[in-house]
Amino acid sequence: MKPAPGDNPYSRLRSSMLVVLMLFGLGPLFAMGIAGFLANQQAVEAQTRSVLDSMVKNRKVTVELFLEEKLRELELAASLHPVAELSKRPVLEALRDRMRREGGGIVDLGLIDASGHHLAYVGPYDLVDQDYSQQPWFEQVRVLGRYESDVFLGFRRFPHMVMAVTLREAGKEYILRATIDTDLLSALVREGGLESGADVFVMNQAGEYQTRYNDAHRLMEKVDIGPMPVHSGVRQFETTRAGRRELVTTTWLRHDSWVLVARKPLPGWSSFLWAHPIVTRIFLIGLVIVPILSVLVARFRLKQIRTLEAEHAALYESVAATEKMATIGRLAATVAHEVNNPLAVIHAQVGLLRDSLADVPDFPLAQEFSSRLKKIESHIARGKQVTHRLLGFSRRMGPDIDRVDVKDALEEAVGFFEREALVSGVRIVRDYAPDLPTILTSLAQLQQVFVNIINNAVDAIGRDGEVRLSIHQRDNGVEIQISDNGPGIPPQNLDKIFKPFFSTKGGENDHSGLGLAICKATMENLGGSISVGSEPGKGTTFTLWLPRENTVESTATP
Amino acid sequence: MAALRILLVDDELDFIEPLARRMERRGMQCVALQDGEKALALIQTERFNCVVLDVRMPGIDGIEVLRRIRRDHPDLPVVLLTGHASVELGVRGMQLGAFEYLLKPIDLDDLLDTVRRAADHALAGA
Repeated sequence: MKPAPGDNPYSRLRSSMLVVLMLFGLGPLFAMGIAGFLANQQAVEAQTRSVLDSMVKNRKVTVELFLEEKLRELELAASLHPVAELSKRPVLEALRDRMRREGGGIVDLGLIDASGHHLAYVGPYDLVDQDYSQQPWFEQVRVLGRYESDVFLGFRRFPHMVMAVTLREAGKEYILRATIDTDLLSALVREGGLESGADVFVMNQAGEYQTRYNDAHRLMEKVDIGPMPVHSGVRQFETTRAGRRELVTTTWLRHDSWVLVARKPLPGWSSFLWAHPIVTRIFLIGLVIVPILSVLVARFRLKQIRTLEAEHAALYESVAATEKMATIGRLAATVAHEVNNPLAVIHAQVGLLRDSLADVPDFPLAQEFSSRLKKIESHIARGKQVTHRLLGFSRRMGPDIDRVDVKDALEEAVGFFEREALVSGVRIVRDYAPDLPTILTSLAQLQQVFVNIINNAVDAIGRDGEVRLSIHQRDNGVEIQISDNGPGIPPQNLDKIFKPFFSTKGGENDHSGLGLAICKATMENLGGSISVGSEPGKGTTFTLWLPRENTVESTATP
Repeated sequence: MAALRILLVDDELDFIEPLARRMERRGMQCVALQDGEKALALIQTERFNCVVLDVRMPGIDGIEVLRRIRRDHPDLPVVLLTGHASVELGVRGMQLGAFEYLLKPIDLDDLLDTVRRAADHALAGA
């Protein structure tokens, strides 16, 4: 359709309809999505809190138990064996092997005297000749009697953790020192696996990793959340890391020298959508379907509106046309009346003149006068024919049922076109069967149908052609055929011409397209029928049939 | 046979005057009046065989005149002759007892024929 100024209101209507439909469709979808997300997030957050809480609590127990057990093993060893035995390498080795067998976690074992030198050492490193007297833990263990270190580099230049206890014998102090397997400790912290996205590790007061995990947690490297204050019990807080909210849960252990940290990102939009594929799918389908449906519904409604408006316009037009016809009918009757009276006066006067002329037998101009009067009389007759026909036609607007001579009715209708036909060179050929019966029908309505169809025929021909009128008896009724040799009607339009608002005539004449529809309705009303046959290039024939006795009730009110 | 006495009532003088003269010429006695009231007054005193009456007139119209004639002189036939044709008017006139309803302009012979038939009918009925 080409854009026209008249389309603007429609396109505006369409956009506003689309906006409203989309709002009504997508609004609830988004609202449900957001509500679902928030509800889900709350639930997930609560769950995460409790998971992290119980995780740090039981990991703390595990780690503390492990370290306590190692320390006790060391203390037990120190109290059971005299220094003389412990300084023998095989004894120390046997001790270490037993400790390894029973609980594991011990890498090496060494007995050191008060000067800081190894009396004996078993383990994978070459530490026999090291002097420990300058190590920071050396003094501490001598003061406290037992000691656990953080992870540090030490002599072996490798992060490790040591544990030491003092033993006294014969007034001398000795130190039994063991290296704790940090891998085992690390494994203990992550024991049983973690939920996806969750992370757990141990950190010292300086904010350095004390447990390792692949390449993510390297021993002694700084943790991204940094050192944190000591607190009692379990603490939970939210923080943002790499743009994502995460829940951190901490608890301090080993007399507040280490802190166990468990953390897990809180769910965002993407994780929510990934976690609920059905919801996501429904949402996406909605996102696709709602606009499509909106467009379809808008288009459908718009089409309905357009059709309705067209129907209204056509109805208005037909009402206006009917009104116009009635007005024209009244006007014609008035004009006919007004013309008829002077015509009657002229007629009377002329009659008197004719009488007077007869009174003077030897009037020299009698011949001349008589022929002139005859001319006047013939023109009065012509005028009278017109006014009487108009009066006759307007008189019969009601649907009064009467005995009708179809031939006369058709002749009266065709009378309206005779002049036009003459001018445009259209011949009117009549083929009436003799002895046609009169039929019981409405003359006025029948003539309207005749006038309509003859008008179409004359229009179709345009110039120089033939309209053939025929009346015959058929099936206990009368068949009237009105044919023209005009251009005909294309087959695809043939079954549509009786439909309301169908018009093959161009816009200029402004036909409402109701003519033939009304004809059909009228014929059916009168108990008859109307059909059409046409051959493009040859012409069109309308065939009307009326029953002799119209069974349709008369609505006349005489 | 005595000449028929006809009363013509029509407000159009130019119509009624030549009509009256032509009818007289054809052996009838005509009185032409342009007023319904005068016509009603006249038929109280004079006898007519037939009244030819226009329908649309100033003052009381033809239908009213017809009604009163039918009421007071049921034997006097009335022929309606009008330029204003309408079914309702015609039907009404006939219902009120008009002898015939004719449309102007009318052929004089047709009018004379109708008037004669009306007079005959009245005589036969009397």
